[in-house]
Amino acid sequence: MMLQLGPFADFIRALFGPLTDFLGSLPLTDTMIMSLPAITLIVFGILALAVGLRYNPLGVSVVGLILAAIEMVALDPLVATIDTTNMQFVRDPMADFFIYIIIMVGFLVLMSSTLYGGNKGPYNFMLLVSFAGAMWVVMAVDLVGLFVGWEVMSTPTYILVALGPGREAVDGATKYFVMGLLATMLMIFGIALVYGVTGTTVISEVAAAVAGIWDMSATMPNAAYTMMLAVILFIASFGFKVGVFPGWQWVPDAYASADGSVTSYLAGGSKKTGVGALMRILIVGFVAAQTEWMFLIAGVAILTMIIGNVLALAQKDIMRMLAYSSIAMMGYLFIGIASAPYADPTLILSDPTTYNYLVAAYNLGTGAALFHAFTHAIMKTAAFILVWALSIRLAKRITYDDLAGLSKKAPFVAAAFAILMLSLAGMPLTVGFWSKLWLFQSAVFAGLWWLALIGLLNSVFSLGYYLRVLRYAYMVDSADENPIKMPTIPMVAVGVCVIAVFVLFFAPWIISNYAFAAVPPVTPPVP
Amino acid sequence: MQMDFAYNILAQLPFGPLAFMLILPLVAALIAYFAGGKGARAITLLVTFLELGLSVLLVLGIDVGTILSGAGMNFLRDFVIATIPIGTGDTVFQFTLGVDGLSAIMILLSNLVVFIAAISSNHIHKSEGLYYSLFLLLQVGLMGVFMSLDLIGFFIFWELVLIPMFFIIGRWGEEGCEHASVKFFIYTHLGSAVMLVAFFMIYFLAGESTGTYTFSMLALRDSIPTLAPMIQIGFALAIFMGAGVKLPVFPLHNWLPWAHVKAPTPGSVILAGILLKMGGYTFIRLGLWLIPDSFARLSIPFAALAIFTCIYAAFTAMAQTDLKSLVAYTSINHMSWVLLGVAVGSVGIGLDPVLYPEIVAASNLAIQGSIFMMFSHGTIISVMFIMAGQLKYSAGTRELPEISGLMEKAPRMSAVLILAAFAAFGLPGFSGFIAEALVLFGSVVVYLWAGIITFGIFITVGYILWMLNRIVFSTPDPEKEVTEAPWVDLIAPILMMIPVILLGVWPDLVLDFTQSVVAFILGGVP
Repeated sequence: MMLQLGPFADFIRALFGPLTDFLGSLPLTDTMIMSLPAITLIVFGILALAVGLRYNPLGVSVVGLILAAIEMVALDPLVATIDTTNMQFVRDPMADFFIYIIIMVGFLVLMSSTLYGGNKGPYNFMLLVSFAGAMWVVMAVDLVGLFVGWEVMSTPTYILVALGPGREAVDGATKYFVMGLLATMLMIFGIALVYGVTGTTVISEVAAAVAGIWDMSATMPNAAYTMMLAVILFIASFGFKVGVFPGWQWVPDAYASADGSVTSYLAGGSKKTGVGALMRILIVGFVAAQTEWMFLIAGVAILTMIIGNVLALAQKDIMRMLAYSSIAMMGYLFIGIASAPYADPTLILSDPTTYNYLVAAYNLGTGAALFHAFTHAIMKTAAFILVWALSIRLAKRITYDDLAGLSKKAPFVAAAFAILMLSLAGMPLTVGFWSKLWLFQSAVFAGLWWLALIGLLNSVFSLGYYLRVLRYAYMVDSADENPIKMPTIPMVAVGVCVIAVFVLFFAPWIISNYAFAAVPPVTPPVP
Repeated sequence: MQMDFAYNILAQLPFGPLAFMLILPLVAALIAYFAGGKGARAITLLVTFLELGLSVLLVLGIDVGTILSGAGMNFLRDFVIATIPIGTGDTVFQFTLGVDGLSAIMILLSNLVVFIAAISSNHIHKSEGLYYSLFLLLQVGLMGVFMSLDLIGFFIFWELVLIPMFFIIGRWGEEGCEHASVKFFIYTHLGSAVMLVAFFMIYFLAGESTGTYTFSMLALRDSIPTLAPMIQIGFALAIFMGAGVKLPVFPLHNWLPWAHVKAPTPGSVILAGILLKMGGYTFIRLGLWLIPDSFARLSIPFAALAIFTCIYAAFTAMAQTDLKSLVAYTSINHMSWVLLGVAVGSVGIGLDPVLYPEIVAASNLAIQGSIFMMFSHGTIISVMFIMAGQLKYSAGTRELPEISGLMEKAPRMSAVLILAAFAAFGLPGFSGFIAEALVLFGSVVVYLWAGIITFGIFITVGYILWMLNRIVFSTPDPEKEVTEAPWVDLIAPILMMIPVILLGVWPDLVLDFTQSVVAFILGGVP
C-alpha cells in the first residue's frame, strides 16, 4: 500500500524478506496474518508490563511499535493473496491509511511519554493495547468486530486519563468513562437494530440490504425508519467518542487534566480511529441512504465547528484551548464526510455524466476527509506534546500569560507554536492550508456551498485564539528572560512534525496520493 | 518594446525568471534568520537590490506583441503542487506564473518599495534576524500575488502576505500594535475567505458548463461569460469584498488607520506602498480582466462608493493630529481613485470603438490612470511615511500641534517633506498629477457627476498645506528641541522621490507598458 514511499517500502520488504517467508511458512491462519501487527502490540504490551516490574519498559514499547510497523510493510505481499470474503478484520487501503496514522501517532506519543509516566509498566501496557484495539477498529468490516475492537481501544484510555497528575485527572476520567459508557450503549443499540432489520452485521452486506430497503422504501417504511434510527444512534455514539456535537462535553476536562502524552494520543489517535470507524459505517455501510444522513452530518459539522471555536476563544488554559480546537477541527472533517454523495449505480447507463460527476465528488469529499485526518493527527499531536513539555518544565498548567516572551526564552518552542497554530488556522506555507482547502472545495463540489462558507467563516473566527498564542509568544515581553531548557526527545518529536507540516505544504502529494487511494471504492451495493 | 539583452538574461535564470524571483528571497529569508544582526540587514539589502534589478529587466523584457494577441502572458510557467485523482478531470493544483505589462509594472513597484523599506529599516534593533527573514518572506508573497495566473496560487500568495505583516506590525510597532496586528490579520483574512468561496464556486460552475474544471485565470476568462449573469455578479461582489478590504473602500477600511499608524516605519511603507496595491491589482485583474461584464453592471455603485470614500477620507485626514494618521487617511483617499478608474473603465470594455469612440477612449484613460495612480501613490506614500517616522526621531513626537519651525531647525528634512507633500496632493510636475488627471479626464466623459471627486482634491490640498503651515513654515518653539535628520535616514526618501519626479515629467515610462494591457482589456472577452 505504499505509493510514493515505494522505494523505501520495497527496501524494507527486501530487507525483511526472510521474515515474510518465515511467517508465510508458519501455520498461521489468514486472520492472524491480517491482525499480526495488532497481535504483536498486545504481546509487547504484556512484555512491557513484565519488564516494568524492574526496569523502564519504554524501550520495549518502542521496539514493539517498530516491529508492528515493519510487519505492516513486510506482510503486504502475503496480505494481498488472502481471500477476505468471510473475515472480520481486513487490511484494505483505508484501514492501512488509518493504521499508519495510529503507528505514527504512537511513535510521537511514546517519545512524549519520556516526560511523565512512560517508565511505568501498566502505562505502557495500556497504551500498546489501546494502539492494538485502534488497529482492529479501523480494520473491522463487521459491526461486532468493530465494537469489540472499539472497547479494546477505549477501556485502557479511561484508565490512562485517570493516571494524569492531580486529582482532577480522576474527575476528567470519570466524565470520559461515563459518557463513553453511554456511547457504548447507543452503539450496541444501533448494532442490534441493524442486525434486527438486515439479519447480518457484516458492513458490506448491510450496505446491500440498505440499498434494497431504500429501493423499496415505499413498501417497507418501518425498515427504512429503523435503519435511519440506527444511523442516528451511530452518529451520536461515535460523536461522543470522537468529540463532536452531541457529546463533546467530556473532551476539554479529560484532555486538560490528563497526562499530556495521553491527551496527544486521544487527540491524534483515538479521535481519528473514531472517525475512521464512522466513515466506514456511513460511507461503506449506509451509502445508499446518503441523501438522508448527509444533512445530519452537515448539521453536526456546523454545530461542532461553532461550539468548538466559540468556546475555544473563551479559554485561558492552553490545553483546554487546544481541546476545543480539536473539537472544531473534527467539525471541518465532517464537512468532507457530508460532501461525499452517493453515486447511484442505476445512473451508470441512464446518465453517465452525472454518475461520473458523483463519483468524482465522492472521491474528493472522502479523500479530503482522510487527508485532513492525517494532517490533524500530526498538528494536534505535536501541539499537545509541545504544551505538555512546557507544562512539565514550568511545573504548572500553561496559560496565555505563561507564553509571554517565549520567543526570547525558547525560540524553537515559539517557532514551533507559530507554525502549528498557523497550520491549524489553515494559512499557507503549512499543510493545514491544503487540508482545509480541499475540504471546503469538496463541499462546493457537492453543491453545499453554504457549508463551505460557514466552514471558512469559522476558520477565520478560529484565528482569534490561534493568533493569541502568537501574540503572547512574540509580542508580549515577560518579566524574566531566563531561557527555558526543553526536554530533548519530545522536542525531536515536535520538530519532526513541524518539518513535516512545512514540507507537506510544498509536496502534499506525498500523503494526498495515499489519502485519495484509500477512499473506499464505489462498488455499487447489489440489492 | 522588448529589449533583447533583458530577455536573454532572464531566460538564463534557473526555474524561469518568475520562479527564480520568488525562490531567491525565500532562500535568503532562511539564511537571514540564522545570520542575525548586521548580516541579516546586509543580505536583505543585497537581495532586495537584486530583485529590483531583475524586475527592471522583467519590465524591459516584456514582449508587447504577445500581450495584444490574445491574453499573451510572458514567461508563462506551471508548477504542479498536487494532483487529486478523483475520476473525471483530475483536479490539478498548480502555480501558474506569468506576467503581462500590468503585472510587470506592479512587480517593479513592489520591489522598489521593498528596497526602500529595507533601507529605511535602520532603526530596527531587536531580533533583526527574525525581522529581516520575515521581510524577505513578505517580498515573496507580494511578488507572487502579481505573478499568479491561477486562482489558488493567487490566494496562497495573498494569504502568505498576512503572516509576516502580522509579526512586523505586532512585534516591532509602537504602543498598541498588538491589537492593530490582530485586527489587520482577521479583517483581511475575512475578506479573503469570502473571495475563496467565490473561487470555488467559479471553479465548480465554470467547470460544469464547459466540462473542464480548472482554476487557471486564462481558461476561466473564456468560460465565465457562459455563466448566468447573477452568478457573475455574485462573483464580482465577492471580489469586491476581498479586494475592497485591501484597497480599502469605505465600509471595509477600519483596519487601515490602526495598522498603518502602529506599524514600524518600514512596515507602514510596505503596507501603504504595495499591500494596498494588491487590492487595486485584484480589481483590475480579477475584475476588469476576468469578469468585465459584471463589473460593468456594478460600475455606478463602485464609482459612487469610490467618490464617497475619497471625500470621507479627505475630511477624516483633515481632523487628524498625528502625522502618520493623516498620511494613512491620505492613502485611503488616493486609493479610492483607483476604484473610480476601474469603475469607469469597466463601462468601455467590449464596446465597439468605432461606434462609441469617446467612451472607449475615456475608459482607456481611466484604467491607465488607475494603474498609474497605483504606481505613483506607492512611491509618494513611501516617502511620506518615512518622513512621518523621521519626525518622531527629530522632534520627539508626531503630533502636529506640538511641532513647529521645521524649516529653520531641520531644513533637509523639511525639503523632502515639502516635496513629498506637494506630490501627495497632485501638484503638476509630480506623478500624482498625471494619475489624477488621467482618471478624472476619463471619468468625467463617462459619468459627469464623477467630477465631484475634485472636491476631494480640494480638501487634500487644504489639509496638506495646512499641515505644512503648522509644522514647517511656522516659527520654531524655543522650548522644544528639534534635530536635523541625518543623511543616512534621508537616503531612502530621496531615492524614492526620483521616480516621483521622473514620472511626473515622463509618464510614458510606465504608460508605455500599460497601454498594451489596457487595450487588450478593453477588447473584452470575445
